[in-house]
Amino acid sequence: MPTIRSPHSPRVAAATVTVLAALAALGGCGSTQAGDPVTSAPAETVTSAPAVTTEAPTTATGSFRSVADIQAAGSIKIGVFSDKAPFGSVDANGDYTGYDIEYGNRIGQDLGVTVEYVPVEAASRVSFLETGKVDLILANFTVTAERAEKVDFLNPYMKVALGVASPEAAPITDIAQLAGKKVIVVKGTTAETYLAANYPDFDVTKYEQYTEATSALLDGRGDAWVTDNTEALAWTKANPGFTTGITSLGPADTIAGAVQKGNKDLLDWLNAELVTLGAENFFHQDFELTLEPVYGDVVDPDELVVEGGQV
Amino acid sequence: MELAVFREYLPAYARAALATLGIAALGIVLATAVGLVTAVVQYAQVPVARRVAAVYVELSRNTPLVVQLFFLYYGLPKVGLVWGSGTCAVVGLGFLGGSYMAEAFRSGLDAVEPAQTQSALALGFGPALALRHVVAPQAVALATPAFTANVIFLIKETSVVSIVAYPDLVYVAKDYIGTDYNTAEALFLLVVFYLLIVLPVSLGAAALERRVRRAGFGA
Repeated sequence: MPTIRSPHSPRVAAATVTVLAALAALGGCGSTQAGDPVTSAPAETVTSAPAVTTEAPTTATGSFRSVADIQAAGSIKIGVFSDKAPFGSVDANGDYTGYDIEYGNRIGQDLGVTVEYVPVEAASRVSFLETGKVDLILANFTVTAERAEKVDFLNPYMKVALGVASPEAAPITDIAQLAGKKVIVVKGTTAETYLAANYPDFDVTKYEQYTEATSALLDGRGDAWVTDNTEALAWTKANPGFTTGITSLGPADTIAGAVQKGNKDLLDWLNAELVTLGAENFFHQDFELTLEPVYGDVVDPDELVVEGGQV
Repeated sequence: MELAVFREYLPAYARAALATLGIAALGIVLATAVGLVTAVVQYAQVPVARRVAAVYVELSRNTPLVVQLFFLYYGLPKVGLVWGSGTCAVVGLGFLGGSYMAEAFRSGLDAVEPAQTQSALALGFGPALALRHVVAPQAVALATPAFTANVIFLIKETSVVSIVAYPDLVYVAKDYIGTDYNTAEALFLLVVFYLLIVLPVSLGAAALERRVRRAGFGA
């Protein structure tokens, strides 16, 4: 077997470091010149655009599509969860199904286009919008101030708080009980942010996927899973031996769709759509269709559903 | 990109770099041990063990580390064996790396001229002594480039252990991306830290290879 000569030499290494330094300089580490296409986050570009530069919104990130662009293309790309029943999941036939999907289907219908669903993870929702991989995110996206700096939220279609799922044998009924125990969260969720801000001493293990987090809980790798109360209730109802010991933790949040920062055209259209849907009580019907079979009488629809974009 | 963000993230990245180095080191030690045993078993044609080694090498080389880790972390608990993420990461790296190391050592052993062994035997060495004093020293020199390539490969392979929730560099980077959305800064630091870890190893490996080549025998 021939031995392969290693291409590494100190000179190559030095060149690599130089290239890296050049990249960093190009990215303007630390410098915050307005108008620099890389330093300006989309948020800044949009607000500062009239004063500084006109080429901004599409430079650093992917470009977004207006309603007319989407209609001309004949399809809208919507980022949804593929593993989070009953909100967004893939059924046995490979079709997307759930509360978020009903909403997405209706948007496609009213836009007169086909819907192309793109599976996303919780932590990748913002970057999928920023890079223009999807036009809209309908992945049970909780509205937060940090997220609102990066994306534009529509008016809400649901409200939510956190919940804590734990084994029935050792139920967690008060958040204080979690001190010194192992807590499971999914990366990039509001549960992670809430625990980091309020209980920084907790021993938290973070997973990328919902299915990984729930597997970990099933395998006894943690004492509790903190997540949206809707998810906790749905999961514990489907998994005997587990209970949602805390059903309302932390501040009540709203859940809304989101578009790329600055895509006002699509945002306005979608907010108007919410008003139309509210007039026909669309989300109550959506609840009956997708959520009621899961929650039964555990959840009152009015505690969860938001009609017309108005809480 | 913002300098303040880098400053804020540095401590967590430094901790994660140590975690990455830790499992890389343990994984490489385990892989080397597994590789040595496998290579010797195959070289010496030990009856049954040699077949077991062959099956292991095929199984290990033809499945991705991600799949092996998933099996260890999410599969084994179903049969009652719950290993922590660190254990899974090290065992996974050892399982994957063991076969690559075995192939490296075996190719080194095979590359030693048969005349060397025959001469040693003719001079009155027993088979074990011939392996230890004549074949092995030459095989080590011949296998070094493949060995160091495997070491670098295994360090880079640690980048998937975050799927079993091991808090390595990728885990921290993805966490920052998911909570603060400073994607550019988080990924840039990720590149820098991997280079900081792997580049010195690459340079050391290149130096080592130059040394052992000078110490080559015969061929």
